[in-house]
Amino acid sequence: MRGAAKAPRTERPTMLPNRSRTSVLVFLIPPLLLYCAAVLFPILQSLFLSFFSWNGISDMEFVGLANYVRMLTADDIFWHSFFNALLYLAICLVLQLGGALVVASLLTSLRRGRELIKTLYLLPAVISTVAIAFLFVRIYSIDPVGLLNQLLHWVGLGSLERAWLSDVNTVLAAVSAPEGWRFTGLYMLIIYAALIAVPKELEEAAVLDGASKWTLFTKIRFPYIRPVWITTTIMATTYGLRGFDIPYLMTNGGPGQSSELLTTYMYKTAFTSTDFGYASTISVFIVIECLVAVGLILFMLKRKADS
Amino acid sequence: MKKLFRAAAVAAACALALTACGGGGTAGNPSNVSPTGEIKPREISWLLSRPADGAVINIMKKLADDYAKDHPGFALNLITTPDRPSYIQKLETLAAANKLPELFDTDATPFAQQLAKQGKMVDADKLLKSLGVYDDYRPGALDYQRFDDGSLYMIPFQFELEFMWYNKSLLQKAGVSVPKSLDDIPAMCTALRKAGITPIALDGQDQWPLERYVAYQPFREAGPEFVQKLKKGEASFADPAGKKTVGWLAELGKANCFQDGFSAQGYSDAQNQFTSGQAAMYNIGTWELPSLATDKLNPAVRNDIDFFTLPTTEGAVTAANEYVSPSGIGMAVNSKTYDPLVSDFLKFALGKYPAEYAATGALSPTTTVQTAVPANATPLYKKALDAANGLGSKQAMPWDTQLDPTTNGRLQQELVLLVQGNITPEQFTQTMDDAIKQNAPKFFK
Repeated sequence: MRGAAKAPRTERPTMLPNRSRTSVLVFLIPPLLLYCAAVLFPILQSLFLSFFSWNGISDMEFVGLANYVRMLTADDIFWHSFFNALLYLAICLVLQLGGALVVASLLTSLRRGRELIKTLYLLPAVISTVAIAFLFVRIYSIDPVGLLNQLLHWVGLGSLERAWLSDVNTVLAAVSAPEGWRFTGLYMLIIYAALIAVPKELEEAAVLDGASKWTLFTKIRFPYIRPVWITTTIMATTYGLRGFDIPYLMTNGGPGQSSELLTTYMYKTAFTSTDFGYASTISVFIVIECLVAVGLILFMLKRKADS
Repeated sequence: MKKLFRAAAVAAACALALTACGGGGTAGNPSNVSPTGEIKPREISWLLSRPADGAVINIMKKLADDYAKDHPGFALNLITTPDRPSYIQKLETLAAANKLPELFDTDATPFAQQLAKQGKMVDADKLLKSLGVYDDYRPGALDYQRFDDGSLYMIPFQFELEFMWYNKSLLQKAGVSVPKSLDDIPAMCTALRKAGITPIALDGQDQWPLERYVAYQPFREAGPEFVQKLKKGEASFADPAGKKTVGWLAELGKANCFQDGFSAQGYSDAQNQFTSGQAAMYNIGTWELPSLATDKLNPAVRNDIDFFTLPTTEGAVTAANEYVSPSGIGMAVNSKTYDPLVSDFLKFALGKYPAEYAATGALSPTTTVQTAVPANATPLYKKALDAANGLGSKQAMPWDTQLDPTTNGRLQQELVLLVQGNITPEQFTQTMDDAIKQNAPKFFK
């Protein structure tokens, strides 16, 4: 009895009492094992394969670091797709996070119809990727004229009409936009939830002190939602870095390598060229790239928070 | 926790060791085509890349059912992936895992040749001879399935001819006639464009249709041997035949021969452009006869449509009656699972297949049967079928079945850039010759 009465004051509150540590482990270990089998093991296996030359049916041949040397020094498509992937990421992030923040902020100032707008923005997130890809192929089409070119024509910007997916200068932006558009609603929902949790008293006090809308946003709201912002940024970045389906379905990386991403290039290397060793090398690079990206985000946001 | 990590490490090591062993695997004897023993009915599988409700699948299903009546317990499981790139990926992955089924489709690609070299496929030459049907086949149909060394490991189920379909009234409107030479086509395109007509409808999304065009000039200039040398790095795009095709494709691009934005347009987009009377030309094979030479064709263009075969060039080494005449993706027989049952079923099915297939209005890979012209056919149908009787002995091979997969992928990408004018013929030549130099040795050792 004494122990039970004392516990709330002296110990950190936990979901399960101390004595059932085993039961915590029992619940934690199966998912951990599953995670190891589904995530860590394939990564380790890729690392292992990346030191070999193997086409799937021949004998595996140990080549040391040759695949890495080839990737970093001798493969023009690799670097092309790497920079494409970065640009793809940038466009997705601007559309997804920037768009989400703007829409969520506007939503909070809306009195009626919030639910309707939220649903409308969220809709693309539940449409299947293949349907989105086909939809946008039609939208960008020039012959027969698609929606985008028709709109440009109507507003008098006929000179901008083009085959968006065949033009090497526009194709990357054209395949990034559907991915960005698709998940804006999802991130908007998360950020909106964070924004409405900002204490009204704080905002009112600031307004009384004469804060402008912009000051209110930069000094009160944004610092308040920073943890959520970090999470969404990490989510959007990792999703963006492993973007694959929409570019693959819309252009298959073309024309040329203009919309080839590291992921699509890796996939083709593995399953079209059957160069599994080299494809593993690229996938190891993608893993490192994701880790570096997440590290950078954490570092930058932490430094900002500290200052 | 320490224990857990140790266990995980051991598990990882074991799994790595297991995958390392996965590469090898056993194979049967590829030349033992008449296995002895009892026929034990069981379910066998055919991994194939053909239209799900197409004639081949329907007939084979029916024949399998007939066979099962006398052999209770037999079943033929047809697993089809009509989309070719997806199919090839599936096949290569299964081959890597050593899990190929009894029967599987493949073209005579370098990858298939490696499988053959490892003894994973039954020698089809011997198999067809032992079944007594070898001489029934059109020589061209078998040749299409052969590797460069003349060996045969795949059995054809189709025979197709590829034509340039064109719209007579659109050509007339632009004041041009049917091109006599491949070299006339760029000028023809310019004239058609001037008249506001899309010259050629092309399915750019699937990539192989554009790749056909790169094969034409070298086939006329240097014959079918050019690509056989090119893929091994023994010939180059800088050679006369190579130079000619690169220059020609750049000219096709400059003359705006293909519809705007072709690289993002699919198979049906291209066909619709032609059948709706917007595009003047369309390069496709006899497998589209049901949509191009029957009353299913749009009545507005039905009387205007005709075809010509691949034009020749000045000084061509191949004749006008020699062009692309593929016998479709072939069927390989897995040597590991080849037993009296598979042998007996093939004997049964291959004997009955040609008559059933010809009855559907398609060209059989054999010469033993007469193709039935459907009741709703236009006169073009018969004209197309008759062309099969006047074929020469050489045929233009589609390059996507010839090059190693990496070079092939690169070629498909660079071709679009070349035709769109994004790269110069010199850049194209440089890139492709480098790609072949880098990738060919791995496949053609």
